[in-house]
Order: sequence, then C-alpha cells, then structure tokens
Amino acid sequence: MSNTSHEVASGPYHSGGAAPSALSAHSVSKRFPGVLANDSVDFDIQPGEVHTLLGENGAGKSTLAAMLCGLYQPDSGYIARNGQRVVLSSPRAGLQHGIAMVHQHFRLVDRFTVAENVILGSRNLSFVLDRRSINERVSEVAESYGLPIDPTATVGDLSVGQRQRVEIVKALYQGAEILLLDEPTAVLVPAEVEKLFENVHAMTQAGKSIVFISHKLGEVVEISDRVTVLRGGKVTGHVSGRGATDTKDLARLMVGRDINLGTQRASHPTGHEVLQIRDVSLNVNGVNVLSNISFNVHEGEMVGIAGVAGNGQKELADTIAGLLSPTSGSISIGGATATDRGPIHARELGLAYVPEDRLGMGLVPSMSILDNLLLTRDRHIVVDRASVRPEATRLIEQFEIKANGPDHLARKLSGGNAQKVLLARELSGGRTATKLLVVCSPTRGLDVGAIETVRRLLDDARSAGQAILLISEDLDEIMSLADRILVLYRGSIAHETPGETAQIATVGAAMAGLTTGVNG
Amino acid sequence: MPAPFRIVFEQRAETPKYLSALVPLISVLAALVAGALFLTATGYSATDTYKNMLDDGFLTYRGITETLGLSTVLICTGIAAAFSFQMNLYNIGGEGQLYLGMIGGAWAGLALGPHLPSFVMIPLVLIIGSFAGAVWIFVPAFVRARLGTSEIVTTLLLTYVASSLLKHFINTPDSFFRAKNVAFPQGRNVADSAALSPIGDTRLYPTFFVVVALALFLYWLVKKTEFGYRIQVIADSPRAAHYAGVSANRTTMSVMLLSGALAGLGGATLIVGPFARLDQGITLLGYGYAGIVVAALARNNFAGIIVSGILFAGLRVGGEKLQISTDTPKHIGVMMQGAILLFALGGEAFRRYKIRAVRMKAVAQ
Ligand SMILES: Nc1ncnc2c1ncn2[C@@H]1O[C@H](COP(=O)(O)OP(=O)(O)OP(=O)(O)O)[C@@H](O)[C@H]1O
Ligand SMILES: [Mg+2]
Repeated sequence: MSNTSHEVASGPYHSGGAAPSALSAHSVSKRFPGVLANDSVDFDIQPGEVHTLLGENGAGKSTLAAMLCGLYQPDSGYIARNGQRVVLSSPRAGLQHGIAMVHQHFRLVDRFTVAENVILGSRNLSFVLDRRSINERVSEVAESYGLPIDPTATVGDLSVGQRQRVEIVKALYQGAEILLLDEPTAVLVPAEVEKLFENVHAMTQAGKSIVFISHKLGEVVEISDRVTVLRGGKVTGHVSGRGATDTKDLARLMVGRDINLGTQRASHPTGHEVLQIRDVSLNVNGVNVLSNISFNVHEGEMVGIAGVAGNGQKELADTIAGLLSPTSGSISIGGATATDRGPIHARELGLAYVPEDRLGMGLVPSMSILDNLLLTRDRHIVVDRASVRPEATRLIEQFEIKANGPDHLARKLSGGNAQKVLLARELSGGRTATKLLVVCSPTRGLDVGAIETVRRLLDDARSAGQAILLISEDLDEIMSLADRILVLYRGSIAHETPGETAQIATVGAAMAGLTTGVNG
Repeated sequence: MPAPFRIVFEQRAETPKYLSALVPLISVLAALVAGALFLTATGYSATDTYKNMLDDGFLTYRGITETLGLSTVLICTGIAAAFSFQMNLYNIGGEGQLYLGMIGGAWAGLALGPHLPSFVMIPLVLIIGSFAGAVWIFVPAFVRARLGTSEIVTTLLLTYVASSLLKHFINTPDSFFRAKNVAFPQGRNVADSAALSPIGDTRLYPTFFVVVALALFLYWLVKKTEFGYRIQVIADSPRAAHYAGVSANRTTMSVMLLSGALAGLGGATLIVGPFARLDQGITLLGYGYAGIVVAALARNNFAGIIVSGILFAGLRVGGEKLQISTDTPKHIGVMMQGAILLFALGGEAFRRYKIRAVRMKAVAQ
C-alpha cells in the first residue's frame, strides 16, 4: 500500500532511466458534447510494460485509448511515440507507428471470414489474394500466440469470445508493438484468460507494451506493472509495482467505497415452472448446436448456464427468445407454448431478454436511449415518445447511466453505460409483466459498483418471483448467484449441480468437457 | 528534416449540425465557381450566363413558375429515391417506375376519363399511376426481401424494359394509347376530365402543392411513426430488428413498393399536368435519374428534397432558356447538376473529417 497514491500526478510518470516512453500522452483532453471525457490526462507506457487503466463506467478509459491509437484526436495536449511528438490522424497512422487497439465493441466485418478480417487494412496485399497462403499465415500467427482459430470461419457465425480472439490476432498480425486491449477478458473464460496472460507475458518479454483495460480487479492485480485510475475524465490515482495492491484497495480507489460481491441465493422455496424446455435440438447448417436439452426454471429461481463461449449458449438463449426455431423439441413459457412463435409472442408470454451482444442486437447504436427503450415495447402507430420520456429519465437515474439525458445516442455511450441501458429496459418490464428473464453476461463490462447494483437487481427480480436464466461465461458470477447450475458443453448439458454445493473444480472440468456425468 | 507542417484529415467524433446544412450550400457554390471557370475557359461570359440562368430560372415570374412546375416531378422522384435510400435499399429504377406511372395514368385518363367527372378522375389518375409504379417495382422488391437479390441491378434493368414498353405503346399501330389519324406516332390526349388546368397563364399545376405536402408528410412519417421507427431500426441494425421481432422482409417490401409508387406518382403528375398524354420524349428527360441526385443533395431529408428539387428544376429551366436566348449550350445546366452532385459527395469528406495543418516537432526530453 506504501506506493499507492491518490494524488494527481503532475506529469507523466517515468519508471526510471532516461529512455523515452514507448508511448505517452501529455495532458490530453477530449470533450464530447456535454461531457469532458478526458481532462488533462498524462499517461505513459514503457517498453515491456503492462499498464492498466482502471475506472468506473464512463470514466474515459476507452476515450484515452482511442486517442493513443489514432481513432480520436485530442482537443488539446499531444501524443508522443518514443519521445517524438506524433499526430495519429487515423487508426492506420497509429498502426504505422506500431500501435494497435482491440476495441470493446468489435470492429469486424460479419460477412468476411476470419482471415479476411485479419488482413483487412493491410497495405501490402497482392492484387489477387492467395487465400490459401493467407489462411496459413493467419493460422500461424494465431497459433504462435496460443490463440487457435479457424481462418476460414465466417465471423458472423462466431461467438463474442471468438470474435475477440480474431481482433487480437488481427492486431498481432499487423505487427503491433504497442497493444491496447480494451476489456479483452470481458468475454473470456478463466482458462482463456490464463492463456491470454501467458501471451501478454510473452509479448512484454519481447519488449512489446500492453495498455490493459479491465473491470476485473483480480486480473488487474495479477497482470499489471502499473495502474492508473481515472475518474470523471481525470487521473485520480496511481499504483506501481507488480502485486503492490489488492482488489479491495483498487475498488476503493475506483469508486471511493467498499464493494461487496457476496453470494446471493433464492431466499424462499421456488414455485411453479415458468420455463420448460423439452428435448430441444438445434441444427444449424448440418451442425448440431444444441442436442436434446431439457430443463425447467421455476418462479423465484435463478438457473445459471455455465460454459465456454461457443458451446451453444447464444443459440439456446436465442431459441428461448423465439429468434431461432428448434429443429425438434418444445419450449413453453408460463405454461403456453413458445416453440417457433417468434420473438414478439415470447415477449407477450412474459419474456425479457438481455442478449450477449449489446450494441447492434440489444441496442440500435444510432438511436437515442429513449428510442432504444421503445425497441421491445408496444409502440402506437404514432410513436408516443413524450409519454416514455419521464420513465427514460427515471431509469437513467436509477441505473446511474452516464448520459446527457434520454436523447443521448446509444453509440455515444461508454461500453458499461450501454449495457446499463439494455439492462434497464429489460429489467423494467415491457409488453407484459416479466415472468422469465433470460440474461446473457449481464455484468460484462460493468465496473464493480455497477456489478453490485445489477446483481442486486437480479436478486430483487428473483425475490419478486421472476424466473431467471443466467447465461454467463463468468463462472464466479454463476457460482455466487445461481440456485442451480447447468454446464453446457458442445450443445448438451454436461453437468448439473445445485448452486449451494457446487464445486468450482467440478464445474470447471465439465466446462472443459472432462466429465459427462449429471449429478444432483 | 521532414516538412514542418502536414495537412491531416482527422475523423470527427461528431458532425456539428450546422455543417450538415452548410455542406450542400457550399457544394452548390463550389459548383457555380467550377462552372464559371469552365465558361470563361470556353469563351463565354460567366457573369452573363449566370445572370441569365438566375433570371430565367428563378427571378422572373415566368421563370419561377416554370421552375416550380418542373420541380413537381423532380420532388416526386427525389422522395421516391430517398424513401428507399434511407433504409439502405437502392431503388435506382425511379426512371422506369415513372414511365409506368405515365402509362397507368394515361390508361386511366383514356379508358375511364370519358365516363367520370374531373374531381374523381384526377385523384384516380394519380392513384393508378402510383399503383403502376408500385407494380413495376414489385418483383425487385420481392426478390430483394425474400432472396436478398440486389435491387440495384433489378430496378435498373427494369427501366430499360419500361422504356421499351412505353415506346411499344406509342409506336404500335392501333395501340390504345396512340393518337389516330396522325402520321407521326404519338400518344393520344387523355380526356379533359383527366387533365388539370395550370394556375393562371403559367405551366405550374396544383399537383405541385400536393407533392410538397406529401414530402412533408413523409418527413413526419419517418420521424414520428411506428413505420418510420421500424425503418430506422432495420437500416441501422438488422440484427436488432430481428431481436425485437421487427420483420425486415415486410418492411423491405413496403418501403420498396412505396418508393416505386412515389416515382409512379411523378409520372402521373405529368399526365394530369403538362403532358396530358403518353409521350416518348420523356425518355430523353431523365427525371427519374435526376431524383437520385435531388435525394443525394438533400441527404435523404424529405423537407430538404423540396429545396433541392426546386433548385435542380431552376437549373434546368435556366439552362434551357440559355439556349434560346443566347448561344450558350443548354448543357451548361446539366453540367451544373453534375458538378453539384460531385461537390456534394466530396463535401461528405468535410462532414466526416476535420482538416488541419499540424506543426511537426520533436519533443524535448
Ligand atoms: N462518441 C462519443 N460522443 C459523445 N460522448 C461520448 C462518445 N464516446 C464517449 N462519450 C462519453 O464520454 C465519456 C467517457 O466514455 P468512455 O467510453 O471513454 O468511458 P470508459 O471509461 O471506457 O467506460 P466503460 O468502462 O463503460 O467502457 C462517457 O460519459 C461517454 O458517454
Ligand atoms: Mg470503455
């Protein structure tokens, strides 16, 4: 704790020696309409260092990273590379200086294959693409960093976790020396995170620098050489030295109070079955994505679906929500059949659904918060925005969404705040009173304070008798919230256990496909 | 030592509102400057030419009424194009749908006109013309909605078919549409009850006000209604539309059909207005294609299209008169249209990028 300081540093911190920083920001400011996203921020990173940016949702982390990679330009202040002032007028210019960013919201072309996405933007491509050799090279780069991925897969078919991987491979392929990772682990499971961290170590050993952004404090403690805390666009604290702090200190440094993320389970015996899934199988292009899934969720119960990304979670959720038609089997919500009846019918039966993919699926980026609230509700022929406005204002307050008001566009929200808008809409009921809540990775990208809030809201919904299906790759979250845990592996339920007695080792093994037994 | 200054394009995080309005204005001015350079270089007086165009297109009673008259059809084809463009559907076959609107309107005027009074006939011609335009886009709309076939290709190709159809109806001996006892093939005039009379001694028809009201109605429709909301959701994120149960297929169909109907309406206004018969001269005028430019200049804003439609009409009217009153080729008007489009598209760069000079210098350690 001795070298943790809350004071604002007066200038860029130098870890010693006269060598110039690999990359530095010198009192950069960036203003967006209505908000000063960065306020005279100093930041620097040395070769071979992992420097973490920490802060609440909307603190300005992504904005700072965007200026460091050339996506945004500072309103004032400047960026220097190896001590030399540079103007990064575009991400491409950033790349020419060896700076690459993996964004919080992926920037991949859905219709392209993995390899095509990776080489997108490369300058030295031959006129006619030799796909085979490109595929090979992409695989090579990917595997050399332990991030195996099929270069011929279409990105649109990949899970969020896999897309993330493509983004990282892309940056590496383009020869980045400085890698800015904006919440890279938000969508990875523990084993994948470990692998990523091994790669990060390998990269820093090779003299590359990593700017890391994460809300997962355990990870931050584990991987960072230095931490800079942002709050309201200002630098409010530094921690330096690996292992010089713990998660409690970081949480306090970030939100200014202690955070409690303890376990919460159903307080009363659960009631009727709300969601019934019988022998549901789903076949997509000849691949069995789901096979013979059967389970129930009861009133006042939270069932957690654990599993590594890409084992059918997304499809399971989409099937329940009426977005996909099961190949066989049946689904009912509140006793009425919902099989193959479409999303509106499912919602009329009392479904609320927070999808894995927030911007672009759960939210319409070019629309305002207000219009996004209307997305899953009944709209009159003439949309009556005025009557929803007070509710929008109330939700913005209740969920502590950092926005200029109901007219703030979704795409101009920070990642965590966008997630809050989605949760606010789905948790506040829509066409009918919510009976069944399907939530995918609800706290992904939220700061610890917000995670606490969301978990409390989920718990409240459960106490109010809603049936909740929590699908998450965050095993900790499932372990501490779910009353019952199901593990999805290759489209089947590989393991079932009550939440109370769940063993992290057993669940983890089932997620990795090491057991097939159903216990409990 | 590299150059001390560099010009850099910086992506704007946000496009200020005033720029969105300024860019079309500046594009028009830039096109005027470019046109002036061209005129001077080819030995014409730029000031005289512009003065003539301005007078003949906008400033004289005759000119402005002529312009507003012509703008009626251009606003129609403009809103037709914009209505599909706003949903990222590219109906560029407005020209063909316009021909069908004329054919449908002329048929109504010829077949039903003699039996019905004017207050029934005029709306009927407009409705049947719109319907014919919608019919013409039905197949492209259907295959686009169901199979994802590019509507750009299909709507464009159907324009050629529409043009042949129109010529067929006029040139075939004994055609229903063809004027009898006239050696030179031309269309038969519609019944009097199907023809509006212009306002006063002008060539401006009351349909102008109908079309302006329609553009304003569409503006409201898109901003305020559930239908407009759906269009926005689908245009921006088809996956969000799917998630929310908004049917992209149905909306694609409706938007395309409406777009075709609007272009068809344009054709029908010509029947109740200045043409009063099927006329193959229409194929030389390119009103349907001009609609694409009108929509682009207004950036698909329906209220803006009223302005850009009038502007383009004025350029054409002014250009036509030039040829008559001076020896300046009338193509200057057409050239100006092209130049405005180019500058408007180029102006997009200013909306999206900030351009500034940056001093390069080393940072003292
Ligand atoms: N393009 C934009 N236009 C307007 N405001 C923006 C834009 N991008 C970000 N903001 C605002 O700037 C502030 C900082 O956003 P930023 O994305 O940097 O936050 P963050 O620290 O990355 O948060 P999170 O942890 O939620 O991702 C927020 O209040 C956000 O609403
Ligand atoms: Mg962020």
